[in-house]
Amino acid sequence: MVSKKLQQLKDKFGSAIQQADVVNDMRLLVYIDPASVKPICQYIFRDMDARYVISIGSDDRPYSGKFLVFHQFAFDKEKILFSIICQLPGENPRIDSISGIIPAANWAERELKDLLGIEPVGHPYPKRLVLPDAWPDGHHPLRKDFAWNKIPEGYDEEREFDFDETPPGCTAVPFGPFHPTLDEPEHFRLYVDGEFVRGCEYRGFMVHRGIEKLSESVLGYNDVPMMAERICGICGCVHSLAFCQAVENGAGVIVPPRAEFIRTIMLEIERLHSHPMWVGLACHLVGFDTLFMQAWRIREPIMWLAEKITGNRKTYGLGIIGGVRWDFTPELIAETRAVLDKLESEWRQVVAAVSKDKNIMARTSGVGMADKALCKEMGLVGPVARGGGVDIDARRDHPYAAYDRVDFKVITHNTADVWGRVVVRMLEVFESINIIRQCFDKMPQGPLVADITTELPAGRVGYTSIEAPRGESHHFAITGDDNRPRRWRARAPTYQNLQGIPAMIKDQRIADMQISLGGIDPCMSCTDRMETIDIRTGARKSWTKAELLSLSRSRKG
Amino acid sequence: MSILSKLKETAICLNAGRVTMPYPFESKPVPERFRGRPIWDHVKCIGCAGCANNCPSREILINDICQEIRILHYLGRRCTYCGRCADVCPEDAITMSHEFENGTNKITDLQQRLELFMSTCQRCGRCFKGQSPLEALKMKGYRADDLANDRWVFKSTAYLPGQPILEDLTIELEG
Repeated sequence: MVSKKLQQLKDKFGSAIQQADVVNDMRLLVYIDPASVKPICQYIFRDMDARYVISIGSDDRPYSGKFLVFHQFAFDKEKILFSIICQLPGENPRIDSISGIIPAANWAERELKDLLGIEPVGHPYPKRLVLPDAWPDGHHPLRKDFAWNKIPEGYDEEREFDFDETPPGCTAVPFGPFHPTLDEPEHFRLYVDGEFVRGCEYRGFMVHRGIEKLSESVLGYNDVPMMAERICGICGCVHSLAFCQAVENGAGVIVPPRAEFIRTIMLEIERLHSHPMWVGLACHLVGFDTLFMQAWRIREPIMWLAEKITGNRKTYGLGIIGGVRWDFTPELIAETRAVLDKLESEWRQVVAAVSKDKNIMARTSGVGMADKALCKEMGLVGPVARGGGVDIDARRDHPYAAYDRVDFKVITHNTADVWGRVVVRMLEVFESINIIRQCFDKMPQGPLVADITTELPAGRVGYTSIEAPRGESHHFAITGDDNRPRRWRARAPTYQNLQGIPAMIKDQRIADMQISLGGIDPCMSCTDRMETIDIRTGARKSWTKAELLSLSRSRKG
Repeated sequence: MSILSKLKETAICLNAGRVTMPYPFESKPVPERFRGRPIWDHVKCIGCAGCANNCPSREILINDICQEIRILHYLGRRCTYCGRCADVCPEDAITMSHEFENGTNKITDLQQRLELFMSTCQRCGRCFKGQSPLEALKMKGYRADDLANDRWVFKSTAYLPGQPILEDLTIELEG
């Protein structure tokens, strides 16, 4: 199947295809002439009907003297992940923009310009995306000659945001960075005409932490999974395992079967706590707090279970390159089965109640519309796409871990609105329970970690897709020297789904904004510190840890 | 129909009853595998620096202040309790304790500092910690010559619960 796709491309474009690397039946790398990137991508996206995944830039100057741009596509039915590679000169790199023909590439190309200084020629909206407005021009943090801890000269903290002009007849309404119903720092500038949203400008990346730079400059293969786990508070295990899989895929490490089953189980446990949480949040956003409380109560035993298995409620610390760190004992398996049984019966009650609830239905039906065409254009993934009737699921389409050894259904719904997403997420819980039970039945004995005796080879390209609770998470890694990746790119599902938000909220009421955005789960953590000041004397007292503890234990306070 | 679904939702709530735990007034025991704050055992530690090499948040520092003395400093600020240090420790000198209530305004409450006496190999010049009790005693006697120093060594090499090791690092909150 891979060779057929390659032949199709060769027949059509001939000499523009410079080199092809057929890794296996599921992976294909094609090096092309950068001058013909636009027609080739158009052909792949429109005529061959591929799904656009992400564009990735890499500074390869220390090794080959060139910049690299990878356009990632996926053929879901044929189970192929497909990569188009353009080599650009090391001086003044420029590449034709594909955002005109593939709107989903908009952010990725702006990011290329911000972080690597690769100019997307002909980009329809070439505004700064990742770097703050105050950042001086000409400094590109992901270039290899930019130190990880450097703050460039000329950083202007006083500079204000550079917003677009409000369209005539509209009023700009700021939504965020800190909005009562949206706990995460991201700013939507809504253009409102009366009560209807006519458009918006998005400003985000306020919590950009530079993890990709850290992974290629300070940390090593052993450390990055732990950091990747902290990309997201909900899909942490997904990102850590996806990084491991990308490196294993590139370096050719074979994971032991037992570790694959354990990975599958933990990924599903993560989905099991994420879906009830999201359904609860969706109810909370439409003002239905009773069900919010109940959904979270039902979720809680899953968190305790995860804590028993891995030692932590959320950051499992599960994945390392070549395997996993925690094993299942027979007692744990029995306990997990019991928790799953309870969850299944309780969740069935919730589904029975919610699926007929006219109030929730009225608030979510016809809101945040994402039909099949929008899913294709913007590359939407996960429950958003499945709620719109697009039958994609990385677990089935690009099997990883032990998903090729278990049976499950991919849930789709055809209403294309938030209600469709609620239904998809509610029903997927049963599929996850089903998958975990099958894994317990089929789990073999054996080692947990592959025996890696030599250094991982450098310069190999590995990429993988994992189905996170929110959608497909795509990780890309080039292995490198010094026991660390040369380039690592994590594309979370929200990266694509957020780009669809302006189209989803267009011409809708401003009151529906929150629930349209509801697919983005808020996560925030904070540590309270305390100091007491006597108002009369002005004396300050610092509390020690022991005092704080005993104070919190005593009811009098 | 909607009335029926509301009744079902009410039934879910009534069946569940009250589930809130009275934390922090009563704390619940944590499971066996729980990963809390890492704690170093200065007796077992051989100063191999494996933990420092494998710490994803780069929270463990190793300083060789001379050929014989190696200082291991756990900073405890942005530690994520991933437990990689305990995984790679060849001597099981690090345990992931069950302590998780680490809110404090004194960073020294969380820090640990180990002073390790390293033996020098006459052939290669590199060091490892003297392990025999006799050797350890000798080391102690050597250090005990200086009483002021001895006190400092005692405080810094052992883990003393509830006592800050260094007093100089206090976070002042602005009034």
